[in-house]
Amino acid sequence: MILIQIILIAAFAVIFLVALRSRSAHSVNAWKKIAFAGLMVLVVIAVLAPDLVSIVAQAIGVGRGTDLVLYVVSVTFGFYVVNQYLRAQESRHQLHQLARRIAILEAQERYGMERLTVRSSVGTTVAPDAQVAQPTEILPPHA
Amino acid sequence: MYNEAEVIGSVIAGILESCPHVVCVNDGSSDLSADAILDAGAYLVNHPINMGQGAALQTGIEFARLLPGVTRFVTFDADGQHRVEDAVRMLRVLETTDVDIVLGSRFLGEAIGASRFKRVLLKAAVRFSNLTSGVRLTDAHNGLRVFNRHVADTLRITAPDMTHASEIIELIARNKYRFVEVAVTIDYSDYSVAKGQPAVNAVNIAVDTLLRKVSR
Repeated sequence: MILIQIILIAAFAVIFLVALRSRSAHSVNAWKKIAFAGLMVLVVIAVLAPDLVSIVAQAIGVGRGTDLVLYVVSVTFGFYVVNQYLRAQESRHQLHQLARRIAILEAQERYGMERLTVRSSVGTTVAPDAQVAQPTEILPPHA
Repeated sequence: MYNEAEVIGSVIAGILESCPHVVCVNDGSSDLSADAILDAGAYLVNHPINMGQGAALQTGIEFARLLPGVTRFVTFDADGQHRVEDAVRMLRVLETTDVDIVLGSRFLGEAIGASRFKRVLLKAAVRFSNLTSGVRLTDAHNGLRVFNRHVADTLRITAPDMTHASEIIELIARNKYRFVEVAVTIDYSDYSVAKGQPAVNAVNIAVDTLLRKVSR
């Protein structure tokens, strides 16, 4: 085995172990785990037998094995970027929901309003409308 | 609002002459905006972090509909570019017609102090909005709106930033709100121009609008 093969396989092994050991691993979809493990196996095969990649490349009409690897990496990276972008949007949305809830609860407390009547942004009423605070209980800030 | 301590007091005082409640969302301002809001006599709702104008509007609406007896809602920019008498006129339109939402339009009215470039850009934005939303309007990005309880209960703005104006128009189409436009005057004071969004933001708004189209 030549040096570069050892370095590459060691690097991928570290990535694989870190991914498996991370605390959030259990929440990742099982199919994604299988796909990830399969990808790792393919990578190791490609590192150990570069000729095999060239054969596959020629079979599907790509000149060289390195070109095929470049294309696969490009497409994978594209998916990765989109996936990360969507995740960032989703967690920002959740952060905003949380911050809005805090802001409204704090304001309700300041103005002595009934707390149970916050409608969440998903449109469900947390408590029946019958519990809406009576006008007399609320001190308008400019009164 | 975000860092509008200089003007917010007089803006709130002006609205309180015509409306019983003013809810002001302080969007994580770093200046004394919160104190100014409390002094002026508006309900203060503090965002713990800066989240953008769309997010602030949604918060303000959600808080306002918790106030007892509130049936009509006005959205009003904090920088003083709108006129209270326009809002009052729009409220009357809401009461006397069967529409759900009344939208301010500066192109039915006049835009005082707007540069020629700003006019051209806003007209282009309107054409883009009409094309992507299917709702025909003369002004797509006007912050002055008046609407009823039905709209307040069902409006869900998810675009946190300036794109919310386009999103509201899409929501008008999707939720089938009955709408009408009313001519309003926008005062482009040096203050509001300096605080307003730069024209290049139009690119962001266009891209976000198209992204919402494909991601749906």
